[in-house]
Amino acid sequence: MATPLLEARALHKTYVLGGETVRAVDGVSLSIDRGEFVAIMGASGSGKSTFMNMIGCLDVPTSGQMILDGIDTGSLSSDEMAIIRNRKIGFVFQQFNLLNRTTALDNVAVPLIYAGLSTVDRRTKAKAKLTELGLGERLDHTPAKLSGGQQQRVAIARALVTEPLMLLADEPTGALDTQTSADIMGIFQRLNEGGITVILVTHEPDIAEYAQRRILFRDGKVIEDAAVTNRRKAA
Amino acid sequence: MGRVSAMVSGWAVNVSIALTALRTNLMRSILTTLGVMIGVLAVVLAVAVGSGAKVSVMESINTLGSNMAIIFPQPESEGGRRTETRGRLTERDARALEKQLSGIVGIAPQLRATVQLVVQGRNASTSALGITPGYGVVSNITSDVGRFISDADVRTGARVIVLGQTVATTLFGEFEAVGQSVRVNRIPFTVIGILESKGSSFGQDNDDVALIPISTVRQRLATGSNLQGPDDLHVLFVGFEDGVNLPAAKKEMTEILRNRYRVPANDISPFTIRTTEEFMEESSKVTGIFQGVLVAIASISLLVGGIGIMNIMLVSVTERTREIGLRMALGARRRDIRNQFLVEAAVLCMIGGAIGLTLAIGVAALFESMADFPAPIGLGTSIMAILFSAGIGLSFGGYPAIRASRLSPIEALRSE
Repeated sequence: MATPLLEARALHKTYVLGGETVRAVDGVSLSIDRGEFVAIMGASGSGKSTFMNMIGCLDVPTSGQMILDGIDTGSLSSDEMAIIRNRKIGFVFQQFNLLNRTTALDNVAVPLIYAGLSTVDRRTKAKAKLTELGLGERLDHTPAKLSGGQQQRVAIARALVTEPLMLLADEPTGALDTQTSADIMGIFQRLNEGGITVILVTHEPDIAEYAQRRILFRDGKVIEDAAVTNRRKAA
Repeated sequence: MGRVSAMVSGWAVNVSIALTALRTNLMRSILTTLGVMIGVLAVVLAVAVGSGAKVSVMESINTLGSNMAIIFPQPESEGGRRTETRGRLTERDARALEKQLSGIVGIAPQLRATVQLVVQGRNASTSALGITPGYGVVSNITSDVGRFISDADVRTGARVIVLGQTVATTLFGEFEAVGQSVRVNRIPFTVIGILESKGSSFGQDNDDVALIPISTVRQRLATGSNLQGPDDLHVLFVGFEDGVNLPAAKKEMTEILRNRYRVPANDISPFTIRTTEEFMEESSKVTGIFQGVLVAIASISLLVGGIGIMNIMLVSVTERTREIGLRMALGARRRDIRNQFLVEAAVLCMIGGAIGLTLAIGVAALFESMADFPAPIGLGTSIMAILFSAGIGLSFGGYPAIRASRLSPIEALRSE
């Protein structure tokens, strides 16, 4: 079998907070293959967010290794991490994190600025992605003029525009109603069927059921890692 | 080529991000840029006023006559050393210099006397210059009305007088002066001409003067005490053709005079020779210092403006921490974030600088038209002002920009 997309080996992350050492991630070893749809679950403080930050190349482990597409992230400079975030990872956030006074098109084009593309190329690609996500008619809308679901779709387009290896979604439905949440999960499933790896961080069990595999964190450790048996399928 | 165009578009993106950010906080941007605007206004005006002072000093010197030397029969008091030798300067010296020097356009021996002029109860006290027609040539002055002093006047010691405009107005008001009689120290003279106006320089009225033939001054108005012989002079003007090397001419004149008076080589010369070139150099030194002081004072306001920029950029970085975190997550490197904020500070400063420069040009034009004071703002000054504003933005925006670039992406993303 090919190398896994990411592999955590005895991963630890400790913080010193108010004089106390906090073991946010305490010896995690697991691997995720290309094309998987994984839900990472756990209560707040379980270490799932810290783990996600390390997958997303936003943070480096205190000890152990995080190997992403064959690269050990522990040895990277901040510039190299930025390049990996730009080329290999697409982030989707709970609060969408769109730039307020900026149109949908320009929001989607932001990662391409840092990829060094020309204005014309940026616009072409951003437009294509937005159209793919059904927002072809709303290119010039600012976030204020879009619904929550539309904003999250803009954010997904932004995450996809650099053609990354994986989507890293942190509570992507946390700010959405049930129906819209289902729509968004449907988009993730469709994208996953198209080949992209999706890693979803959530604390909602029914949202996790859209994934193929569920990893449960508690106190910095993985306490359960199993396939989702009653997998939901978005309409 | 692709890299270059990507780089250019990268900077263009930064400018457009900056403009969006500045527009978002329009009032704040305006108030902040006001500081830079006032600073640039002050500095540009200081430069302009300084240049104006230079120009007007140069013009004043030019009214003396453009290329000449002035010889006084007094030793230079350089270095505190003084000779007991009182210099003498005679009409024979003048003729000798005229004969031996090359490139001369004229020579103007001069005697000076303070005189009282009286016309029907009106009187004026002024300095009378005893001159030859050469004075007109060397000083580039002639009569506006009537005629100038002639060789015949000098030869015969005629009791004729040419009045400066100030003196003429004091004595005759609106009435025709030429042909009238005026008593000079109680001796009756005839007014033969009125000088063209030479304005004023260094706060001195150049028209408060009267010209009389040198021989007449010597015979009738002589102020004896410091004259040692019958053809002694107070001052000698030597006018040179354009392009004559004045320092060399000065050396030559010193040599000639030293030889005539047999001054030993290591003695201090009993003559002082000053050239217009030296006047210009000294004046430009003085006006240069004047300009420097003005600009230094004005720079303080620019410094204050710069501090305002730094302050507001720090606020902006704090407010946009989440945006910085997002950009980092999307692949911005530290230098991308740094450049974004540097460009924002530079754009803010350049807008202020451009407005300040425009205002300065307006104020300078007002100076020129209302106070008749030249305050030139050249293209060089303008370009400097804009570049300088950008520099202020880059230097005062530097710290906030670097601070922004050092933020941790996780913490930045988490901030509210």
